[in-house]
Amino acid sequence: MPKESSYLTEQYMDRLDDLTAAMESGDNQQINQLVSELTTLRETSLYQDLGMLTREIHDTINSFASDDRIAELAQEDIPDAKERLKFIVTKTDEAAHRTMTGAEETVAMIDAFNDRAEVMRNRWRQFRNRELSKQEFVELNQDLDHFLEEIGDESQAIHGKMTEIMLAQDYQDITGQMIRQVVNMVQEIEEKLVILVTLSGGAVCKVEEPEIRAAETAEGPQLPSASKDKVAQSQGDVDDLLASLGF
Amino acid sequence: MDKEMKILIVDDFSTMRRIIKNLLRDLGFNNTSEADDGQTALPMLKSGKFDFLVTDWNMPGMDGLTLLKTVRSDEELCDMPVLMVTAEAKRDQIVVAAEAGVNGYVVKPFTAATLKEKIDKIFQRLEA
Repeated sequence: MPKESSYLTEQYMDRLDDLTAAMESGDNQQINQLVSELTTLRETSLYQDLGMLTREIHDTINSFASDDRIAELAQEDIPDAKERLKFIVTKTDEAAHRTMTGAEETVAMIDAFNDRAEVMRNRWRQFRNRELSKQEFVELNQDLDHFLEEIGDESQAIHGKMTEIMLAQDYQDITGQMIRQVVNMVQEIEEKLVILVTLSGGAVCKVEEPEIRAAETAEGPQLPSASKDKVAQSQGDVDDLLASLGF
Repeated sequence: MDKEMKILIVDDFSTMRRIIKNLLRDLGFNNTSEADDGQTALPMLKSGKFDFLVTDWNMPGMDGLTLLKTVRSDEELCDMPVLMVTAEAKRDQIVVAAEAGVNGYVVKPFTAATLKEKIDKIFQRLEA
Protein backbone atom coordinates (compact mmCIF):
# COMPACT_ATOMS: atom_id res chain seq x y z
CA MET A 1 0.00 0.00 0.00
CA PRO A 2 2.67 2.65 0.88
CA LYS A 3 4.53 1.77 -2.33
CA GLU A 4 1.37 2.15 -4.38
CA SER A 5 0.38 5.36 -2.65
CA SER A 6 3.83 6.95 -3.14
CA TYR A 7 3.62 5.95 -6.81
CA LEU A 8 0.22 7.66 -7.00
CA THR A 9 1.54 10.78 -5.24
CA GLU A 10 4.35 10.95 -7.77
CA GLN A 11 1.84 10.69 -10.59
CA TYR A 12 -0.25 13.49 -9.05
CA MET A 13 2.84 15.68 -8.63
CA ASP A 14 3.90 15.17 -12.27
CA ARG A 15 0.43 16.06 -13.56
CA LEU A 16 0.18 19.10 -11.26
CA ASP A 17 3.59 20.39 -12.41
CA ASP A 18 2.50 19.94 -16.04
CA LEU A 19 -0.87 21.57 -15.26
CA THR A 20 0.84 24.65 -13.75
CA ALA A 21 3.04 24.92 -16.85
CA ALA A 22 0.05 24.49 -19.20
CA MET A 23 -1.94 27.18 -17.34
CA GLU A 24 0.98 29.59 -17.44
CA SER A 25 1.32 29.06 -21.22
CA GLY A 26 -2.49 29.10 -21.68
CA ASP A 27 -2.56 25.69 -23.42
CA ASN A 28 -6.25 24.86 -22.96
CA GLN A 29 -6.07 21.52 -24.71
CA GLN A 30 -3.22 20.44 -22.44
CA ILE A 31 -5.11 21.70 -19.37
CA ASN A 32 -8.20 19.63 -20.29
CA GLN A 33 -6.04 16.61 -20.95
CA LEU A 34 -4.26 16.92 -17.57
CA VAL A 35 -7.47 17.53 -15.58
CA SER A 36 -8.92 14.43 -17.22
CA GLU A 37 -5.81 12.41 -16.25
CA LEU A 38 -6.00 13.69 -12.67
CA THR A 39 -9.65 12.55 -12.45
CA THR A 40 -8.68 9.10 -13.69
CA LEU A 41 -5.88 8.99 -11.11
CA ARG A 42 -8.32 9.94 -8.35
CA GLU A 43 -10.70 7.17 -9.39
CA THR A 44 -7.83 4.65 -9.51
CA SER A 45 -6.76 5.44 -5.93
CA LEU A 46 -10.38 5.28 -4.77
CA TYR A 47 -10.80 1.84 -6.35
CA GLN A 48 -7.53 0.73 -4.78
CA ASP A 49 -8.67 1.83 -1.30
CA LEU A 50 -12.01 0.16 -1.83
CA GLY A 51 -10.25 -2.99 -2.97
CA MET A 52 -8.06 -3.01 0.15
CA LEU A 53 -11.08 -2.56 2.40
CA THR A 54 -13.01 -5.33 0.64
CA ARG A 55 -10.03 -7.65 0.99
CA GLU A 56 -9.70 -6.88 4.72
CA ILE A 57 -13.39 -7.52 5.33
CA HIS A 58 -13.24 -10.69 3.27
CA ASP A 59 -10.21 -11.96 5.22
CA THR A 60 -11.83 -11.16 8.55
CA ILE A 61 -15.08 -12.87 7.59
CA ASN A 62 -13.08 -15.86 6.39
CA SER A 63 -11.07 -16.09 9.61
CA PHE A 64 -14.29 -15.68 11.55
CA ALA A 65 -15.93 -18.47 9.57
CA SER A 66 -12.95 -20.76 10.01
CA ASP A 67 -12.80 -20.16 13.79
CA ASP A 68 -13.73 -23.65 15.08
CA ARG A 69 -14.43 -22.27 18.53
CA ILE A 70 -17.50 -20.41 17.22
CA ALA A 71 -18.94 -23.62 15.81
CA GLU A 72 -18.12 -25.34 19.09
CA LEU A 73 -19.85 -22.57 21.03
CA ALA A 74 -22.96 -22.83 18.88
CA GLN A 75 -23.10 -26.61 18.66
CA GLU A 76 -21.88 -27.64 22.09
CA ASP A 77 -21.41 -24.87 24.63
CA ILE A 78 -24.72 -23.05 24.20
CA PRO A 79 -26.85 -26.24 24.32
CA ASP A 80 -24.64 -27.36 27.22
CA ALA A 81 -25.24 -24.04 29.02
CA LYS A 82 -28.98 -24.49 28.49
CA GLU A 83 -28.73 -27.94 30.08
CA ARG A 84 -26.73 -26.48 32.95
CA LEU A 85 -29.29 -23.75 33.56
CA LYS A 86 -32.11 -26.32 33.47
CA PHE A 87 -30.12 -28.48 35.89
CA ILE A 88 -29.69 -25.46 38.20
CA VAL A 89 -33.46 -24.90 38.19
CA THR A 90 -34.06 -28.58 39.03
CA LYS A 91 -31.32 -28.65 41.67
CA THR A 92 -32.52 -25.50 43.46
CA ASP A 93 -36.10 -26.77 43.27
CA GLU A 94 -35.08 -30.09 44.82
CA ALA A 95 -33.04 -28.35 47.52
CA ALA A 96 -35.92 -26.02 48.41
CA HIS A 97 -38.30 -29.01 48.68
CA ARG A 98 -35.83 -31.06 50.69
CA THR A 99 -35.39 -28.14 53.09
CA MET A 100 -39.11 -27.49 53.32
CA THR A 101 -39.95 -31.17 53.82
CA GLY A 102 -37.31 -31.40 56.54
CA ALA A 103 -38.62 -28.27 58.25
CA GLU A 104 -42.29 -29.37 57.97
CA GLU A 105 -41.55 -32.83 59.36
CA THR A 106 -39.50 -31.35 62.19
CA VAL A 107 -42.26 -28.90 63.09
CA ALA A 108 -44.82 -31.75 63.07
CA MET A 109 -42.55 -33.83 65.32
CA ILE A 110 -42.01 -30.96 67.75
CA ASP A 111 -45.76 -30.19 67.84
CA ALA A 112 -46.68 -33.82 68.56
CA PHE A 113 -43.94 -33.97 71.15
CA ASN A 114 -45.21 -30.80 72.79
CA ASP A 115 -48.77 -32.24 72.93
CA ARG A 116 -47.51 -35.38 74.69
CA ALA A 117 -45.44 -33.25 77.07
CA GLU A 118 -48.54 -31.20 77.89
CA VAL A 119 -50.49 -34.37 78.80
CA MET A 120 -47.59 -35.55 80.95
CA ARG A 121 -47.34 -32.18 82.67
CA ASN A 122 -51.06 -32.32 83.59
CA ARG A 123 -50.83 -35.85 84.98
CA TRP A 124 -47.69 -34.92 86.89
CA ARG A 125 -49.52 -31.89 88.35
CA GLN A 126 -52.38 -34.19 89.37
CA PHE A 127 -49.90 -36.45 91.10
CA ARG A 128 -48.34 -33.55 93.00
CA ASN A 129 -51.82 -32.38 94.03
CA ARG A 130 -52.43 -35.94 95.27
CA GLU A 131 -55.28 -36.35 92.80
CA LEU A 132 -54.15 -39.71 91.40
CA SER A 133 -55.24 -43.15 92.54
CA LYS A 134 -52.59 -45.77 93.23
CA GLN A 135 -53.35 -47.48 89.91
CA GLU A 136 -53.15 -44.13 88.08
CA PHE A 137 -49.80 -43.41 89.72
CA VAL A 138 -48.42 -46.79 88.57
CA GLU A 139 -49.58 -45.97 85.04
CA LEU A 140 -48.04 -42.50 85.21
CA ASN A 141 -44.79 -44.03 86.35
CA GLN A 142 -44.69 -46.35 83.35
CA ASP A 143 -45.76 -43.64 80.91
CA LEU A 144 -43.15 -41.26 82.28
CA ASP A 145 -40.45 -43.88 81.73
CA HIS A 146 -41.68 -44.37 78.22
CA PHE A 147 -41.83 -40.61 77.61
CA LEU A 148 -38.25 -40.07 78.78
CA GLU A 149 -37.11 -42.79 76.40
CA GLU A 150 -39.03 -41.10 73.62
CA ILE A 151 -37.23 -37.80 74.29
CA GLY A 152 -33.97 -39.48 73.35
CA ASP A 153 -35.42 -41.08 70.21
CA GLU A 154 -37.16 -37.89 69.10
CA SER A 155 -34.02 -35.82 69.62
CA GLN A 156 -32.12 -38.25 67.41
CA ALA A 157 -34.83 -38.03 64.75
CA ILE A 158 -34.89 -34.21 64.87
CA HIS A 159 -31.09 -34.18 64.65
CA GLY A 160 -31.39 -36.36 61.53
CA LYS A 161 -33.93 -34.01 59.95
CA MET A 162 -31.69 -31.02 60.69
CA THR A 163 -28.70 -32.77 59.11
CA GLU A 164 -30.88 -33.43 56.05
CA ILE A 165 -31.78 -29.71 55.87
CA MET A 166 -28.11 -28.81 56.18
CA LEU A 167 -27.06 -31.26 53.45
CA ALA A 168 -29.74 -29.86 51.15
CA GLN A 169 -27.73 -26.62 51.11
CA ASP A 170 -25.02 -28.30 49.04
CA TYR A 171 -26.95 -27.05 46.01
CA GLN A 172 -25.27 -23.69 46.49
CA ASP A 173 -21.82 -25.13 45.77
CA ILE A 174 -22.91 -27.29 42.82
CA THR A 175 -25.09 -24.64 41.15
CA GLY A 176 -22.59 -21.89 41.96
CA GLN A 177 -19.89 -23.75 40.03
CA MET A 178 -22.27 -24.33 37.14
CA ILE A 179 -23.30 -20.68 37.02
CA ARG A 180 -19.62 -19.71 36.86
CA GLN A 181 -19.19 -22.04 33.87
CA VAL A 182 -22.14 -20.41 32.08
CA VAL A 183 -20.84 -16.91 32.92
CA ASN A 184 -17.46 -17.82 31.38
CA MET A 185 -19.19 -19.02 28.22
CA VAL A 186 -21.32 -15.86 27.98
CA GLN A 187 -18.13 -13.83 28.34
CA GLU A 188 -16.53 -15.74 25.48
CA ILE A 189 -19.59 -15.19 23.27
CA GLU A 190 -19.46 -11.51 24.17
CA GLU A 191 -15.85 -11.35 22.92
CA LYS A 192 -16.83 -13.01 19.65
CA LEU A 193 -19.74 -10.60 19.24
CA VAL A 194 -17.39 -7.68 19.79
CA ILE A 195 -15.43 -8.93 16.77
CA LEU A 196 -18.61 -8.95 14.71
CA VAL A 197 -19.36 -5.41 15.79
CA THR A 198 -15.85 -4.11 15.12
CA LEU A 199 -15.94 -5.88 11.75
CA SER A 200 -18.47 -3.35 10.51
CA GLY A 201 -16.15 -0.57 11.73
CA GLY A 202 -13.17 -2.06 9.88
CA ALA A 203 -11.10 -2.80 13.00
CA VAL A 204 -10.20 -6.37 13.89
CA CYS A 205 -9.73 -7.72 17.42
CA LYS A 206 -7.47 -10.61 18.24
CA VAL A 207 -9.09 -13.55 19.99
CA GLU A 208 -7.04 -15.59 22.40
CA GLU A 209 -6.66 -19.28 21.66
CA PRO A 210 -8.96 -21.39 23.84
CA GLU A 211 -7.18 -23.22 26.62
CA ILE A 212 -6.54 -26.90 26.15
CA ARG A 213 -8.41 -29.01 28.66
CA ALA A 214 -6.43 -31.62 30.53
CA ALA A 215 -7.38 -34.05 33.28
CA GLU A 216 -5.43 -31.81 35.67
CA THR A 217 -7.79 -28.93 35.08
CA ALA A 218 -10.77 -28.68 37.37
CA GLU A 219 -13.95 -28.40 35.32
CA GLY A 220 -16.63 -28.29 37.97
CA PRO A 221 -19.73 -30.44 38.15
CA GLN A 222 -20.71 -32.54 35.15
CA LEU A 223 -24.29 -32.82 33.95
CA PRO A 224 -26.10 -36.05 34.85
CA SER A 225 -26.41 -36.69 31.10
CA ALA A 226 -22.58 -36.77 30.65
CA SER A 227 -21.03 -39.86 29.05
CA LYS A 228 -20.76 -42.77 31.49
CA ASP A 229 -17.45 -43.81 29.94
CA LYS A 230 -15.82 -40.52 30.87
CA VAL A 231 -17.68 -39.38 33.98
CA ALA A 232 -18.33 -41.25 37.20
CA GLN A 233 -22.08 -41.20 37.80
CA SER A 234 -22.02 -41.98 41.50
CA GLN A 235 -19.81 -42.46 44.53
CA GLY A 236 -20.00 -46.19 43.70
CA ASP A 237 -18.38 -45.54 40.30
CA VAL A 238 -15.63 -43.50 41.99
CA ASP A 239 -15.00 -46.27 44.52
CA ASP A 240 -14.85 -48.92 41.75
CA LEU A 241 -12.39 -46.86 39.74
CA LEU A 242 -10.18 -46.24 42.78
CA ALA A 243 -10.39 -49.94 43.72
CA SER A 244 -9.18 -50.82 40.21
CA LEU A 245 -6.16 -48.57 40.91
CA GLY A 246 -5.39 -50.51 44.06
CA PHE A 247 -7.15 -48.26 46.57
CA MET B 1 -8.95 -42.73 65.26
CA ASP B 2 -8.29 -39.70 67.43
CA LYS B 3 -11.44 -37.58 67.66
CA GLU B 4 -9.33 -34.66 68.87
CA MET B 5 -7.32 -34.55 65.65
CA LYS B 6 -6.98 -31.19 63.94
CA ILE B 7 -8.75 -31.05 60.59
CA LEU B 8 -8.47 -28.38 57.89
CA ILE B 9 -11.47 -27.97 55.56
CA VAL B 10 -10.65 -26.24 52.26
CA ASP B 11 -13.46 -25.17 49.93
CA ASP B 12 -14.20 -21.89 48.16
CA PHE B 13 -17.92 -22.12 48.98
CA SER B 14 -18.59 -21.20 52.59
CA THR B 15 -21.86 -23.18 52.60
CA MET B 16 -19.95 -26.35 51.71
CA ARG B 17 -17.34 -25.66 54.42
CA ARG B 18 -20.16 -25.30 56.95
CA ILE B 19 -21.80 -28.52 55.76
CA ILE B 20 -18.54 -30.49 56.06
CA LYS B 21 -17.74 -28.85 59.41
CA ASN B 22 -21.18 -29.79 60.80
CA LEU B 23 -20.98 -33.34 59.49
CA LEU B 24 -17.52 -33.74 61.02
CA ARG B 25 -18.89 -32.40 64.32
CA ASP B 26 -21.67 -35.00 64.15
CA LEU B 27 -18.96 -37.62 63.74
CA GLY B 28 -17.28 -36.31 66.89
CA PHE B 29 -14.59 -34.15 65.28
CA ASN B 30 -14.77 -30.69 66.81
CA ASN B 31 -11.25 -29.48 66.13
CA THR B 32 -11.70 -28.05 62.64
CA SER B 33 -10.44 -24.98 60.80
CA GLU B 34 -11.38 -23.57 57.40
CA ALA B 35 -9.64 -22.10 54.36
CA ASP B 36 -11.13 -20.93 51.08
CA ASP B 37 -8.40 -22.11 48.70
CA GLY B 38 -4.99 -23.77 48.52
CA GLN B 39 -3.08 -20.53 48.89
CA THR B 40 -4.77 -19.75 52.19
CA ALA B 41 -4.60 -23.37 53.30
CA LEU B 42 -0.89 -23.93 52.74
CA PRO B 43 0.51 -21.51 55.35
CA MET B 44 -2.12 -22.80 57.80
CA LEU B 45 -1.01 -26.38 57.16
CA LYS B 46 2.65 -25.43 57.58
CA SER B 47 2.19 -23.64 60.87
CA GLY B 48 -0.92 -25.30 62.30
CA LYS B 49 0.09 -28.92 62.98
CA PHE B 50 -2.98 -30.35 61.24
CA ASP B 51 -3.65 -34.10 61.23
CA PHE B 52 -6.09 -34.34 58.35
CA LEU B 53 -6.90 -32.32 55.23
CA VAL B 54 -10.32 -32.28 53.57
CA THR B 55 -10.19 -30.33 50.32
CA ASP B 56 -12.27 -29.38 47.31
CA TRP B 57 -10.61 -29.49 43.88
CA ASN B 58 -12.03 -26.62 41.83
CA MET B 59 -11.09 -23.40 43.60
CA PRO B 60 -9.78 -20.03 42.45
CA GLY B 61 -6.21 -19.24 43.47
CA MET B 62 -4.60 -22.58 44.23
CA ASP B 63 -6.83 -25.54 43.36
CA GLY B 64 -7.11 -28.72 45.43
CA LEU B 65 -4.95 -30.85 43.14
CA THR B 66 -2.08 -28.37 43.32
CA LEU B 67 -2.55 -28.20 47.09
CA LEU B 68 -2.41 -32.02 47.26
CA LYS B 69 0.77 -32.13 45.16
CA THR B 70 2.35 -29.36 47.23
CA VAL B 71 1.52 -31.23 50.44
CA ARG B 72 2.95 -34.48 49.06
CA SER B 73 6.18 -32.77 48.02
CA ASP B 74 6.63 -30.99 51.34
CA GLU B 75 9.04 -32.71 53.71
CA GLU B 76 6.95 -32.06 56.79
CA LEU B 77 3.47 -32.41 55.32
CA CYS B 78 3.98 -35.32 52.91
CA ASP B 79 2.41 -37.97 55.18
CA MET B 80 -0.78 -36.01 55.87
CA PRO B 81 -3.96 -37.92 54.97
CA VAL B 82 -5.94 -36.03 52.35
CA LEU B 83 -9.61 -36.52 51.49
CA MET B 84 -10.84 -34.84 48.34
CA VAL B 85 -14.50 -33.80 48.40
CA THR B 86 -15.27 -32.48 44.95
CA ALA B 87 -17.74 -32.19 42.10
CA GLU B 88 -15.01 -33.29 39.65
CA ALA B 89 -16.36 -36.64 38.51
CA LYS B 90 -14.47 -37.37 35.29
CA ARG B 91 -12.72 -40.72 35.41
CA ASP B 92 -9.47 -39.17 34.08
CA GLN B 93 -9.56 -36.67 36.93
CA ILE B 94 -10.11 -39.31 39.61
CA VAL B 95 -7.10 -41.21 38.22
CA VAL B 96 -5.00 -38.02 38.29
CA ALA B 97 -5.99 -37.38 41.93
CA ALA B 98 -5.16 -40.98 42.84
CA GLU B 99 -1.77 -40.69 41.16
CA ALA B 100 -1.12 -37.44 43.02
CA GLY B 101 -1.55 -39.36 46.27
CA VAL B 102 -5.05 -38.65 47.51
CA ASN B 103 -6.21 -40.95 50.35
CA GLY B 104 -9.94 -40.76 49.65
CA TYR B 105 -12.23 -39.26 47.02
CA VAL B 106 -15.84 -38.22 47.62
CA VAL B 107 -17.97 -36.78 44.80
CA LYS B 108 -20.47 -34.05 45.51
CA PRO B 109 -23.31 -34.21 46.26
CA PHE B 110 -22.54 -36.68 49.03
CA THR B 111 -24.23 -38.05 52.12
CA ALA B 112 -23.16 -37.95 55.76
CA ALA B 113 -22.76 -41.75 55.60
CA THR B 114 -20.38 -41.54 52.62
CA LEU B 115 -18.20 -38.97 54.36
CA LYS B 116 -18.06 -41.12 57.50
CA GLU B 117 -17.28 -44.26 55.51
CA LYS B 118 -14.37 -42.63 53.63
CA ILE B 119 -12.86 -41.08 56.75
CA ASP B 120 -13.14 -44.39 58.61
CA LYS B 121 -11.50 -46.18 55.69
CA ILE B 122 -8.61 -43.71 55.46
CA PHE B 123 -7.77 -44.04 59.15
CA GLN B 124 -8.31 -47.79 59.27
CA ARG B 125 -5.75 -48.10 56.50
CA LEU B 126 -3.33 -45.71 58.16
CA GLU B 127 -3.62 -47.44 61.50
CA ALA B 128 -3.31 -50.97 60.04
